[in-house]
Amino acid sequence: MKGAFTYLLLPAIWSSRNRAARRQHGDLTRALLFAAMGIGVFAALFFASAWVTWQLDGYEELGDYLLRLGLSWIFMTFLAFLTFSGIVTALSTFFLSDDLRLLLTAPIAARRLFYARFAKTVAQSSWMVIVFITPVLLGVGVVRCASATFYITSALTILPFAIIPVAVGTASTLLLVNVFPARRARDLLMLMGFLFVGSVVILLRMLRPEQLMRAESLPDLTGFFSSLQSPLTPLLPSFWAGELVFASLKGGWDPMHAGALWSTALVCCVGLRVADERWHFSGYSRSQEAPKARFARFRGIDLIARTLPLSPVRKQLLVKDVKIFLRDVSQWSQLLLLLALVLIYLYNFRVLDLGRIPYMSGFVKNVYALLNLGMAGFVLATVAVRFVFPMVSAEGRAFWLIRKSPVAMHDFLWSKFWTGLVPVLLLTETLTIAANELLDVDPLLKGVAAIAIVFLSFALVGLATGLGARYPRFTADNPSEVSGSYGGVAFMVVAVLLVIAIIALVGWPSTTYLYYQLRHRPIPSFRLALMGTCFVGAIALTVTTWLHGMRSGIRALDAMSN
Amino acid sequence: MIAVEHLVKQYGGFTAVDGVSLDVQPGEIHGFLGPNGAGKTTTLRMIAGLLKPTSGRVVVNGHDVGDEPELAKAALGFIPDRPFIYEKLTAGEFLRFHAGLYGFDGDDVMDRVHEMLDLFELRRREHDLVESFSHGMKQRLVMCAAFLHRPRAVAVDEPMVGLDPRGARLIKDVFRRMSERGVAILMSTHTLEVAQEMCHRLSIILKGKIIAQGTVDEIRQLAGGADDHLTSVFLRLTGGSALQELDEAV
Repeated sequence: MKGAFTYLLLPAIWSSRNRAARRQHGDLTRALLFAAMGIGVFAALFFASAWVTWQLDGYEELGDYLLRLGLSWIFMTFLAFLTFSGIVTALSTFFLSDDLRLLLTAPIAARRLFYARFAKTVAQSSWMVIVFITPVLLGVGVVRCASATFYITSALTILPFAIIPVAVGTASTLLLVNVFPARRARDLLMLMGFLFVGSVVILLRMLRPEQLMRAESLPDLTGFFSSLQSPLTPLLPSFWAGELVFASLKGGWDPMHAGALWSTALVCCVGLRVADERWHFSGYSRSQEAPKARFARFRGIDLIARTLPLSPVRKQLLVKDVKIFLRDVSQWSQLLLLLALVLIYLYNFRVLDLGRIPYMSGFVKNVYALLNLGMAGFVLATVAVRFVFPMVSAEGRAFWLIRKSPVAMHDFLWSKFWTGLVPVLLLTETLTIAANELLDVDPLLKGVAAIAIVFLSFALVGLATGLGARYPRFTADNPSEVSGSYGGVAFMVVAVLLVIAIIALVGWPSTTYLYYQLRHRPIPSFRLALMGTCFVGAIALTVTTWLHGMRSGIRALDAMSN
Repeated sequence: MIAVEHLVKQYGGFTAVDGVSLDVQPGEIHGFLGPNGAGKTTTLRMIAGLLKPTSGRVVVNGHDVGDEPELAKAALGFIPDRPFIYEKLTAGEFLRFHAGLYGFDGDDVMDRVHEMLDLFELRRREHDLVESFSHGMKQRLVMCAAFLHRPRAVAVDEPMVGLDPRGARLIKDVFRRMSERGVAILMSTHTLEVAQEMCHRLSIILKGKIIAQGTVDEIRQLAGGADDHLTSVFLRLTGGSALQELDEAV
């Protein structure tokens, strides 16, 4: 056992066991929440897959053809994802991981270390794909009443299918790290990755797949899938995997593609191991070399800060936060993905075909305006939990610098609040106004939504800042870890409830107003009073959340200092 | 036991270690001194097999670290300046895993683990997670791990940093005992009192080059002050004029 590569995986297993045995405050709540979300996603994918398979069942041979193409297409999408994921994960597991400092000083054979690291890379890169593809294949299998062979073949297909692209990704990393310093390569990859994902998402949306859902579009559907095929497709592991799974679904067995898949996976493993034994140490050694700092100085930020009417403390905190954020590629590059999602969001409103229901279009538009407010609220909550909530934790091990300085925690936290509020407010306000303009909703709703989002921004940014200070994780390696902590999950739960409450408090009076306006009737005075109460209630709720969140955060920081 | 021959490490155009050669005999405690950024840690990392030298070679117990890394590493215990320990493992689990990395198996492993925990006064914390340890305790745990496999040679980077006087005395005692048993110890340190008290020989490195090598007395004579304290000798050799500038700035 001690000579096997699996021995090197023991710390991860023991650590997980210890973590489970010594639960921290809120761990159970978080686990339950994530489990519920996971089950929800699993069920949604299962039913969606079952529904599509059931629909295709009605088209005899064409249905089979489309199912076959669909499987191949799903595997092709995962092939690209796994390759990229393999590149990024291998960078960490093979070169940047802290435990390598321990393992490389021990007398472990290079081959043994390689297998342990590669197993870890495959597991980390592909768990998401496995979680996604399992309910999809289960859905297909259940509707087609597939035999046990289908499920066994599927399981045996996924393993080599995951190994091949991850091996290609790892080989690319091995090459990259021997050319560039590892940390520079990681920044480059992050940026490329987010640009790539953003572009793909926008491109897919621009294809307007919803048009293919109409019955009259069925011929287009085959054309759509066929256009994704190329002469190279049969040479890809995704094609082999699709064919293999499809053959087993029909009760058959496809030895050619099974052989191609498993033999390629084996060759990839052996080839990669040989390359790793030859170049890993030189790559690791290079990755330990501190790259000469080549960074933007952002003099403009200093100049702008100088003109702001802020105290020197707040000015310096602001400059520090902005510069650190902009110099960390892994941070700001995520904004590119967010930007892509915002573009799609606005594009959806542009292509919304409300003309198909002419009598209802006015009413539906206004309902959409409220939906838009809700969506903007959720975008706001997501941005806040990802970027604002970790701001206090981001001080990390340097927080002593603030605590030993003559800086009041009140000043410190309010500085964090304003730094977070300005970009978040700009983003969500632009989103709300632009979407409502594209929809051409009633001017009253435009105004109400624009004002509501201002109050929501104050409330959610204040709450995220405050809870971030109450539940900091100064030792976290990255902000995503902070967002996923107990405090982050608690914030998301409260934020979602608040958004729903605000939509209710703002939505009811707005739709009541539109109801009476459409019928050209005056609004009864008791209703007017009730509507006013709702608006005041919304304002009171957001202001209370904002100030209470901030105060509790300041109290927590003060308690920490005492 | 540890032989470093013409070791060079270049980062692009910058030479961090420039032709370093030194030799640590069995039973010898060899002090490796130098100002910050002189190349001590880089040299030790190359000895431990964590960095690839640009040229030159390191031999541990007769095995070249580059050509026979497993045999060389099996004979070496390495204590880095910033050690990595799995925070979610207990001290006992960490040492058991570490023993496995060096091929130790069987019932006697836990006896050895307990022996080490007793020696470094950590036995009571055997079942506690490493994350709950203070800096000094983590330092002692890393030393437990380094001596666990009975190495023939030990390379240690700044062993006294963060240790209380009791901890520092404990480490000095352990190093002396190991040296008496024939273990070769190469120790980088900034604490010149420790070097003066413990080391049989010293190497002083400056800007990647060894500028002085020998016993404490030989180095004193080399610096031209036979009765001086090691601190004065060290400052004279490594450019103590910077201290005067520091005085003026403060």
